[in-house]
Amino acid sequence: MKIELCSFSGFKIYPGHGKKIVKTDGRVFQFISSKAESSHMMKRNPRKINWTVLYRRKLKKGQSEEISKKRNRRTTKFRRAITGATLNDIMAKRNQKPEVRKAQREQAIRAAKEKAKAKDAQKKANKAASAKAAPKQKAAKQIHSKAPRVGGKR
Amino acid sequence: MNCLKLYQNVSSTYCRHISTTSCLEHLQKMSRVKVVDNSMIGRQSVIKGKRPRIIHVYTSKKPQVGLLGDTVLIAIMGEKKHAYIVGCVEKQKANVPRFDTNNVVLVEDTGIPTGTRVLVPIPSCLRGKEGDFTKILSIATKFV
Repeated sequence: MKIELCSFSGFKIYPGHGKKIVKTDGRVFQFISSKAESSHMMKRNPRKINWTVLYRRKLKKGQSEEISKKRNRRTTKFRRAITGATLNDIMAKRNQKPEVRKAQREQAIRAAKEKAKAKDAQKKANKAASAKAAPKQKAAKQIHSKAPRVGGKR
Repeated sequence: MNCLKLYQNVSSTYCRHISTTSCLEHLQKMSRVKVVDNSMIGRQSVIKGKRPRIIHVYTSKKPQVGLLGDTVLIAIMGEKKHAYIVGCVEKQKANVPRFDTNNVVLVEDTGIPTGTRVLVPIPSCLRGKEGDFTKILSIATKFV
């Protein structure tokens, strides 16, 4: 025989106990007692009724706290090799000394700075070339930029 | 003391003891019933509001009351049809579920059910029934 759960209170219903009701829309409800049944008929929410299992679960009453804490501790860290790097490579990177890491960082910074310098030099060269080509256009532009400011002040 | 007695007399005349017995909900002649399979006649009767009624209950017992699994004659859309009772509002025995509507499955004279599927859960205590009932159980979708 199947031991069912009360639809309202959540208690176990052993064979020979309780009531089973099929509603008009075909939903089936099992009740352990007339207390549970009449509460359901009154449209009480079991999550608000203190003695039901749903209420206790929702407010985490009783032993469920301990169980949930124990479960969290069981998660272990698992180190795997990835397609890019084998386990050895990963472990080597992890176990690098801080001085070595610093040296690597400084190298990288230096390389980046040199790149930036090279870029700036190129830009300046380009600007100089364009400036020699058209100096008059720049002068004209300056006069135009002054005029709207005077109007704005008023 | 006298005052107390007077008060008691007054209260006894004011309170009325009304006994209330619950409705029997028997399935007898002229009781309205809900067709629970997907037959066309069943659906039409719902649409037109002409709810089927029991005309005759095929039992040999004296008060002709239909119980779970009994055969019944039903007047539906001007026709007479046989049907099996598949769910009762009446209070049942211990492990039998109680339904909110009196459910019925239409059957032809030959014993073959009119519809192709029963949409509502059927009590599993009907599983042990003989002959023609197995055809209804075969179209059932859910058991309770």
